[in-house]
Amino acid sequence: MASIVEPFAISHIAGRFLLFDVDAISHARREHNVCGVLIGTIPNLSQQNVFLGIPLELMPEEARVLVEQGHAYILDDVETHRSGFLEMSRETRLTALKAMDEKGRELAIAAKKRAEERQAKALKELGLAPKETEPTEIPPTKLDRYFITPTTSYPVLPKQQETVSATMPEVPRSYPLFRYLHSKGYFSTPGLRFGCHYTVYPGDPLRFHSHFLTTGLDWDEEFDLLDIVGGGRLGTGVKKSYLIGGEDRLLADQCDSGPPLESVRAFSIEWAGM
Amino acid sequence: NLKHTMQSSPLQSLVDDPTMLSTSHLPSLHALAVQVQYNLQYQHSWTDLRLHTHSPTANEPLPRPLLSGLPPERLYVHPDEQIQLLKDAERRRKAKQKEGEDIGILDVQARPELEWLLPTRLGEKWTLRRLSEVFNVITAVPPEPDATDKDDHRPTNPWRATKRLVLATVGSDSTVVYYIVHDGVVKPRQN
Repeated sequence: MASIVEPFAISHIAGRFLLFDVDAISHARREHNVCGVLIGTIPNLSQQNVFLGIPLELMPEEARVLVEQGHAYILDDVETHRSGFLEMSRETRLTALKAMDEKGRELAIAAKKRAEERQAKALKELGLAPKETEPTEIPPTKLDRYFITPTTSYPVLPKQQETVSATMPEVPRSYPLFRYLHSKGYFSTPGLRFGCHYTVYPGDPLRFHSHFLTTGLDWDEEFDLLDIVGGGRLGTGVKKSYLIGGEDRLLADQCDSGPPLESVRAFSIEWAGM
Repeated sequence: NLKHTMQSSPLQSLVDDPTMLSTSHLPSLHALAVQVQYNLQYQHSWTDLRLHTHSPTANEPLPRPLLSGLPPERLYVHPDEQIQLLKDAERRRKAKQKEGEDIGILDVQARPELEWLLPTRLGEKWTLRRLSEVFNVITAVPPEPDATDKDDHRPTNPWRATKRLVLATVGSDSTVVYYIVHDGVVKPRQN
């Protein structure tokens, strides 16, 4: 696994925040408790959607918290590709083509070598002596090179031509609670299946069951007690707590001028069993 | 003569009692607290029930009337405390087995603890701000009902690290549901 240089790129495509680099995906999960959801089909198994691969889709909240903490930047990938390829200089284009030619030649040589090995093996099995040929250097010009179709934009597209997005990802109003839990080391995944904003794990979801079903609220947002009763009972039924929380804007504004205070407050709700 | 066809329930009589009126809170809130207190006492066998209209620390009126009381069994055991209690019970069982008295079962002992209660009605609108305001004025543990009786003073449970209260919600048909609310991020019990 190659090491990742921070800040790494988060591709912003069609309103989604995606990671295409498998090293970035592992890094985000390992170092920054950002889990995401894999959404790519696997070319070899394209008629199923149980096993999915790259890219990883991040929630806007996850993308924002990574950008806010300086670990990542938002890459306007559509613009990067459009201008990057259209305005590519002749030298860059030639370098890319030359690299592809080299690769094609290597593949052709490797294929020929494999063919020769198969031939020798087959002859040996038949009991015949392998052909004693002098190992000759095959002149590059004589061997037909394979034609490569690149499957990734990089390294064809040089990294210097990236268009970085200046705006922060737009996040829903539950963001302060997400950010608070993220800072405490919790992993949050979308909570649609439980009717809440996030399902929160005390560690990597592969190792733990989730502890909380969380809903982020504004400090003065009115909620029905029936929702608390519903959430609490549902949570207790599945060995989780229902967590509601939000940010006190007054405390948050005080933070800017004074010492760091925790402006987010959360409440854990469980059925009392009586 | 309606005397035999319409008779108030004991609860209705209790709530209607003019001596039950509060000087600090609206009758609807006060009656609500009395109704929850009644339910705790007669349906769930709670004891040491007290209705609080003022903060135990400052002499300020509370945002709403609150209750405190003692459940017949311990109401809340933190999951980490649960592990410790099980270990203690196992140790006791092993000791008893050594003495020849095999009690057979694990006797997990957890003394009941005083709890705060917040009476509410199902139709009420709440916000995080209002909930925080209630938590801000309560102590971690409710005051002992009889302050003069120092001998009976319960030792504070070291596992009781976050403030909690019991949200009691009365429905339109008078059923009361009880939910524990912790002031913080507290992991769930693994019942």
